[in-house]
Amino acid sequence: MATFDPQFIWFGLVSGSLIALGALGLTLIFGILDFINIAYGEYMALGAFIAFGLNVEYGLPLVVAALVGVLAMGPIAIALDKVVFQHFRKRSATVLLVVSIGLSFILRNVIRVVWGSGSKRFDVPIEQAPTYFGIQILADQVLIILLSLVVLGGTFLLLQRTDVGIAMRAASDDSELARIRGVDTNRLVLYVWLVGGVIAGLAGVMLGLDGQLRPNMGFLALIPIFAAVILGGIGDPIGAVVGGYAIGLTQELSVIFIPTEYKAIIGLVLLVIGLLTRPDGLFGEATR
Amino acid sequence: MSADPLLAVEDLQKSFGGLTAVDGASFTVEAGTVVGLIGPNGAGKSTTFNLVTGFYEADGGSVRFRGEDVVGLAPEERAQRGMIRTFQITRELTGMRVRQNMHLGGQDHDGEKVVHALAGTAADQEREIASRAEDILKQLELWDLRDEYAGNLSGGQRKLLELGRALMTEPDLLLLDEPMAGVNPSLTDDIIDMIEELKGRGLTFLIVEHDIDMIMDISDTVIGMHQGRVLTSGPPEEVQQNEELLEAYIGGAV
Amino acid sequence: MAYATLLTTVGIIAAIYALLAIGMNMHWGDTGLLNFAHAGFFAVGAYASTIVTTPTTSGLLAERTVGFAFPVVVGLVVAAVLAAVVGVVIALTSVRLQGDYLAMVTLSAAEIIRLIVKNESWLTSGAQGINNIPRPAAGAFPLQVGGFTVGYDLFYLGLMLAIVGASYLVFTRLSSSPFGRVLHAIREDEDVPRALGKRTATFKLKSFGLGAGLAGLAGALWSHYFFAINPTMFLPALTFSIWAAVIIGGAGSYAGAIVGTAFIVGIRQVTRFLPSDIPFGNELPFIRLILIGVALIVVLYFRPQGLLGDRERMAAGQDMGGS
Repeated sequence: MATFDPQFIWFGLVSGSLIALGALGLTLIFGILDFINIAYGEYMALGAFIAFGLNVEYGLPLVVAALVGVLAMGPIAIALDKVVFQHFRKRSATVLLVVSIGLSFILRNVIRVVWGSGSKRFDVPIEQAPTYFGIQILADQVLIILLSLVVLGGTFLLLQRTDVGIAMRAASDDSELARIRGVDTNRLVLYVWLVGGVIAGLAGVMLGLDGQLRPNMGFLALIPIFAAVILGGIGDPIGAVVGGYAIGLTQELSVIFIPTEYKAIIGLVLLVIGLLTRPDGLFGEATR
Repeated sequence: MSADPLLAVEDLQKSFGGLTAVDGASFTVEAGTVVGLIGPNGAGKSTTFNLVTGFYEADGGSVRFRGEDVVGLAPEERAQRGMIRTFQITRELTGMRVRQNMHLGGQDHDGEKVVHALAGTAADQEREIASRAEDILKQLELWDLRDEYAGNLSGGQRKLLELGRALMTEPDLLLLDEPMAGVNPSLTDDIIDMIEELKGRGLTFLIVEHDIDMIMDISDTVIGMHQGRVLTSGPPEEVQQNEELLEAYIGGAV
Repeated sequence: MAYATLLTTVGIIAAIYALLAIGMNMHWGDTGLLNFAHAGFFAVGAYASTIVTTPTTSGLLAERTVGFAFPVVVGLVVAAVLAAVVGVVIALTSVRLQGDYLAMVTLSAAEIIRLIVKNESWLTSGAQGINNIPRPAAGAFPLQVGGFTVGYDLFYLGLMLAIVGASYLVFTRLSSSPFGRVLHAIREDEDVPRALGKRTATFKLKSFGLGAGLAGLAGALWSHYFFAINPTMFLPALTFSIWAAVIIGGAGSYAGAIVGTAFIVGIRQVTRFLPSDIPFGNELPFIRLILIGVALIVVLYFRPQGLLGDRERMAAGQDMGGS
């Protein structure tokens, strides 16, 4: 328990950015491919660990390592789709969800085999935390928030302005209709994994930057991400982002009332409240 | 016959996003009658079915069944009150056998409670349900297929199974959504006879059908819908002459 | 001789996991419910029975302040009931919604349960775990029967086999009853039983409670055999392994669930015997899980009905095979 401190709002913005990113990626994939990809958490973790491996084990500067880790997740997501999910495209969403859980366990344990099961940190110098307006601000945190806003903004521009993005939104609303209108759904699928994978990689790397890296970091991050996706309406990108920040802020502010170990519970509590009161999401769009 | 209609629908409203599917539809269904619901595609017939039975939540209006306002009640609660519907695209429980589909229709079955199921104390009820199912399956000429998985049936056979399953519930009001579509013509007469006989025993029907002749033949009252509204309602001979409805069919999408 | 004890222990573990698989099959195989919190119910049962039967200790390291000394039977009952209640409470949030929601809620709930077990040391002794859990009828063994000596492990194995057998009978009876019929209908297409007047939400809750309760009982039986528990015994990997067992064995079939469990336990135990100085020796536990994951996906692709499942039903139906 603690008393209110504007620092919590700052933490909330940082957490919120990470959750919003993850939720956006997950919801985009759901919108086009119609299933919840539980392995998405592991896409985040994989991006972080690839960056870690390059940074700590191969000595590359963090910026380079991070870039590789983030960008690698695009093609890796596409590859995983080709090897795994594509074969189940004709099956029900439930089967895909179960397959994704299988994949999630495979990836999580691949991480343990390759990088070990302990917790790790990126090779960054310890920073001073200058204080502005009574809030301690780390450069990493500023980076996270700014970069997230840039990527979120960029993704929305993609969705609103580019042909691919518009096609994605059309397919998300009604994939049958989109197919009839001549939208190349195969190319679309490729794009959605590319964008979703890169977003996951970025969220993972930043998650690692903000704290430590652990093989189950992706899985743990999924709880607030699920909450954000559901509260925002499954398949609704705006809802996912708004939900992400809402949950991030609530999570960090919750330490006023509950012990910090249980911050993750806030995600679940909000999820439950959301489900009970607004099963169609905050924006009423989560019909399936 | 009581003064209250069995089903009274007033000013029903339903929109999806920007699209208005049902726009102030009102009609009544008297007990012990067969009421046909017709209209061109997109008229809102299936949506009306879903609203009346609770599968869609109405944006406005009222649905009174036996005088009771059922808006807000879940589909299963309306079904328990005697309002049973079939689906336009058959919802066969494909992974279950024909017989199991039928037995599912049994009402107030103690065997569905855990304690009774374990103790086996509902065997009598189960026998009674099995016997009724056998009668209906034989009438619908599905008895030979009783142990087949429902997923292996032809389209017409599935329609019949859906009808049979609904009949198992001993409903008061049966809402049939295109019950004849895909059914072997040799059977349609038998089904019409079945409907007449059940009507004689007090069952009430609300039927959506595209076969206008059949509807005019079998119905006591016909309701014509177009663009979410009820254009006309009355005896078949009258409705057949209705200009607006004719225009709707010719002018609108078929 | 040591070999025999080892086999017996493996058998007991397999039997306890079989109970978990039976409960999971009611959820998934019979009702089509996506429950990813099963290890959580297992933990609730294990800890509930332990707390109720194991008094607290005093001493420097003693963190737990809650403990009783009821007989083991009481512990078993409390475990099953509490796990069932927790299961129903969790399910209440999502039974009226699409299955994906239940998946996400249970996934999150399992993690919360793990957090509670790890952090509330006044209740659970946290990461330390709880020791000196009483073993039922321990004093009576070793027992001389005829010329044969029955050790405690053998007795417990016999006990477990009896419980598994009884559970199998109970659950298959429920599955083939009118109650089970409604569950199967829910699995196939929930709108249909609703249109026929069945309160599907209530049926789902009952199914959930029954499966969770059995998982709780399994947890209690686990803790009383191993007489010590700690949070690392109840990880998501366990839920996942049981899922794999149920699907590989044949979703919808209780016999399949038990066979699948044998397969999974088999993999885990066989790989235990590989010498640890082979390459990747230290990573064996992780490689095992990778193998299970691969096996799950492969089975789902090639033989969605699992080892013992009904191919005909799969082809006709819609749950795992068709679109």
